[in-house]
Parts: sequence; structure tokens; C-alpha cells
Amino acid sequence: MPSATADWGFASALDDVAGAVAIVGIGDADYTRASGRTTTEIAAQATERALADAGLTAADVDGIMYVPFSGDQLTAGDFRAHFGTTHAMWESDRGGGMVWAGSAPYDAALAIRDGRATCVLNTFSVAWATQRAQMVGGPGQVHAEELFKRNLEIPFGWFPQPVYFATIARRHMHEFGTTPEQLGAIAVACRRHAQHTPSAVMRDRPLTLADYLASPLIADPFRKEDCCLISDGGAAYLMTSLERARDLRQPIIAVLGVGVGNSRTGAYWSQQEAFTSTPQVFAAPGAFAMAGVAPGDVDVLACYDPFTIVSLMQIEDMGFCPKGEGGPFVAGERLSFDTGSLPYNTHGGLLSHAYVLGIAHVVEIVRQLRGEAAAQVRGARIGVYGGYTGPQASTLILARQ
Amino acid sequence: MHPDFPLPDVDWPPTRELWAGAARGALRIPRCDRCGRGVWYPEPPCRWCGGATMTWHDVSGRGHLFSWSVVRHAWIPQVADRLPFVTGLVALVEDPAVHIVSYIVDCAPESLRCDQPVHAVFRPLRYPGVERTVMAPLFTPTR
Ligand SMILES: [Zn+2]
Repeated sequence: MPSATADWGFASALDDVAGAVAIVGIGDADYTRASGRTTTEIAAQATERALADAGLTAADVDGIMYVPFSGDQLTAGDFRAHFGTTHAMWESDRGGGMVWAGSAPYDAALAIRDGRATCVLNTFSVAWATQRAQMVGGPGQVHAEELFKRNLEIPFGWFPQPVYFATIARRHMHEFGTTPEQLGAIAVACRRHAQHTPSAVMRDRPLTLADYLASPLIADPFRKEDCCLISDGGAAYLMTSLERARDLRQPIIAVLGVGVGNSRTGAYWSQQEAFTSTPQVFAAPGAFAMAGVAPGDVDVLACYDPFTIVSLMQIEDMGFCPKGEGGPFVAGERLSFDTGSLPYNTHGGLLSHAYVLGIAHVVEIVRQLRGEAAAQVRGARIGVYGGYTGPQASTLILARQ
Repeated sequence: MHPDFPLPDVDWPPTRELWAGAARGALRIPRCDRCGRGVWYPEPPCRWCGGATMTWHDVSGRGHLFSWSVVRHAWIPQVADRLPFVTGLVALVEDPAVHIVSYIVDCAPESLRCDQPVHAVFRPLRYPGVERTVMAPLFTPTR
């Protein structure tokens, strides 16, 4: 069998932005099942709350980031219309959730350094629960419309994402001996964290490892609990220079490091040469080098987790344990917010909090570093977000100053 | 959406040769004219050397089962009457970096093992509500 070569992907070349920008305001929209709201309404609600959290007004925000993906996102025009302002804004489509929830602070830092903006908002929202109820949109649609997938994968039942990642999990089990109990440990930790988190969609739904193992297989080796929720919701965060952040009301949460990794096989998981790896292999080393910290220094981790196996692979690929040892590493209590050595997705993640594609993960890390999280990690000072899209991954390292 | 979804469009130029080959019982894949490696999915430039052109060749249809899932939930309604089914990736003997996505048929799912030998068999793909059928390479364990 072919083994992956180092050229299956690469790291993006990034300038050093350590200490150039801080996250000074965070806001969640309501996380719900089908709500009937539009994505723009959801993002605006999160933005109002982020402004209130930072003690800023709409007129203070002169930069806005979003991604032209999954519904209408909050553009500068939408922002001005919602808040009744007319001011000029730097606008970037390199923001939003997923991998960009981790890389947006890099682009914001450059914009602030170069004088294009002083205070930058990043938002992302989804209404996939509402759209699914209306049988439009949703996470499968973009794949169903991709022509190679439509002609070479879907005719053979290899669709949608749970089937892709169940296939990856099977190979990871074969190569490294990973077990269902180990995947289940991730689902159980996330569910327990959601039970501590008032905003989590699954806060009232406990899950034990025995429950997990007794639940039916939907795409063997996956059970339902290996897969993320479908939700409506969104979040927002505000960034400004460290110097300006000192005059604001919240503790300073500084961006220490950013990394971006890329896979050459893009979103064709079937053809991914390093089948059981993610582009975190390329993203994380640069971020840790920029930050001057090591994985062992991290107090709290949040990774984009559409499936349990994606958590496992990123934990390995970011260097928290050697490749292939993720299964034993996550087993037991390791990921727990109060008793574990690597508290992980302490709000419940995409599996049990809400499927808002990573933006809430960054908000949670900020909350942890401020010491105001629901499932608070005692004394957390360094937090990391791992973003993922398949073709790309990002690593964002934040620290309380 | 394609009216015959989830069947392929056998006239779509990038993959037309695959379906033309399957109709006569042959598995065909394109190779890069410059480096000779399989280019899958069939879209230049070659992901290995950047070569701009490729040529389709018949291959043996033999491969190894790289990985698979046993699907027990109908994410699209058209597959409901096939449940449970095995779908996965076959690494070709001639070029193991080429992963053919297909159904794995005529087997007990619990007997499958990663890397076991499999070979192509050609069967019509049929879906409810779709009159047309398409002859396609499926794979079965080699005994
Ligand atoms: Zn080539």
C-alpha cells in the first residue's frame, strides 16, 4: 500500500503576527434546532452581543470578515443596514467559520498593521436546521453538486460526509488499532461538556460510553453520536490591536500564533493520499513556532469536530500525541474539562453544542481564557483552536496576557 | 439536480471513457502522458508531475480494498431499498494511489478486511424512479 509522502500538502507562508491583535469581544447567537431565522439575522444577533461584550458601538467597527459560503453572511452593507450607520469599512471574504475561524485573526492583524482597519468583526452563521426542514441547502448539497462526486462517488452510495469519514475511521482503525471505545470517549466527553453549557443544543441529553456502544451503527463504524448536529446559530468576535485592547473592558486575549495547512487533494477525501491525516500536519508547526509555545503548554483545545475521527486525527496531527496514538490518548478522562490533562471542546463542540462550524469554538476558547466558561478549566492561560475544512486546516493560538 | 440522480451522466466528457469501458466489461483509467501515473480524478494537470495531457487505458480490474463503510441509513431516499450496503475505496493493483469508489458486492460485510484482494465485476446500476440503468464497475472479494 502507498504510504503518504511529505508532498501531499504544504503550509501557507505567513508573516509573524504574534501579539499584533487581540480578541476583545465575543457574542453567540441563540443555538437552536430549526428556528426560521435567516443567516443574516443570526449573524446580526451575535454581532450585537459581541459589541455589548466589548463595550463598543457599531460605529467603532471599521472592518468586517465573513465567508461567501452557506447562506447570506453579514456583509458591510448588511452591517450598516442593521445598525443604521453609513461609515466606511474594510471588508474581507476570508473570514467566517471552519478553517477561517482560525485564520481570520491573521488577515485582521495585517489589515490593522497596515492601517486598513482598527477594529475588525468576524462572524459566521448557519440556518441548516431550518433549511433541512425546507429540504434545501444543508451540509450535503455542496458535495452533491460537485461534478466528480456526482459522477464517480454518489452513484456508488459514497455520500454524504458521514460515509466519507466512516471510511476514514475504518482505515485509521486498521492502521493504528483505534477502537470504537476510543472514538466513543470523544463523543462522551463532548456530551458531558454540553451538559454543563446552558447554550448547548444537547445539554439535556446525557451519554455514557455504554449508551454509545449500544446505539445503532448508521455508517459502520460510525454511530449517530460520532456525527455532528444540524443546528441554526452563529457567533461573532471582535479584534483590535493590543494597544487599543488595553483601553477596553475585557481581559486581553492575544493572538500568539496562526498557521494554515493545505492538502493537494482538496475536498476529494477518496483520493487523499494521507488518508488518515489532516492538513493540521502543516498548519500546527508554524503556529506553535510563531507563538513560541509547544503542545504541552496548551491548557484548553477546541477543534472543528464534524465527526469523532476528525477530532482524533487533529489531536494527533497537531502534535498532542504521536501519529497513530490518538486512540489510547483520548480514552478515559483525558479530554475532560475538570479531570483531564487536555480539556477538549469544553462547550460540547459540533457533536453536542451546536453545528455552527467552528466559530463558537473560538468564542469558547476566549471565554475559557477569561475564566468565564460554563465548564471552566481552572487557570487556563493558553488555548488553541484547530480549524478544518478538508482541503485546509488552521491553528490559532490564543493567550491571556 | 440531474433528473436521473443518483446515476452518473455517462456523456460528461471527463468521465465518459469510464462508462464506455464498463459497457464492454473493461475498467479504464487515465494515465499522465508525461509521468505515466494514474490521474484520478481525471482532470489535468497531473497531480504528480503537472503534465497537461492524459490517455485512457484498460486496467486489470484487480485491486485491494483500501477502506469501506457499511451504510445502514438512507441519507438520500434513492438508496433506501439497498440498505445495508457496502461502499468503499479500491486501490488499483496497477496504481494503488488511484482509489476507485464503488459498491463492494457479493460478500458478508463482517468478513471484509482492509487491503484484501478484490476485483471488478460489471453490473447495471439501478435506482428507483429512474428508468435508465448504467453499467458500472462494482467490486467483489477475490477468493
Ligand atoms: Zn504526471
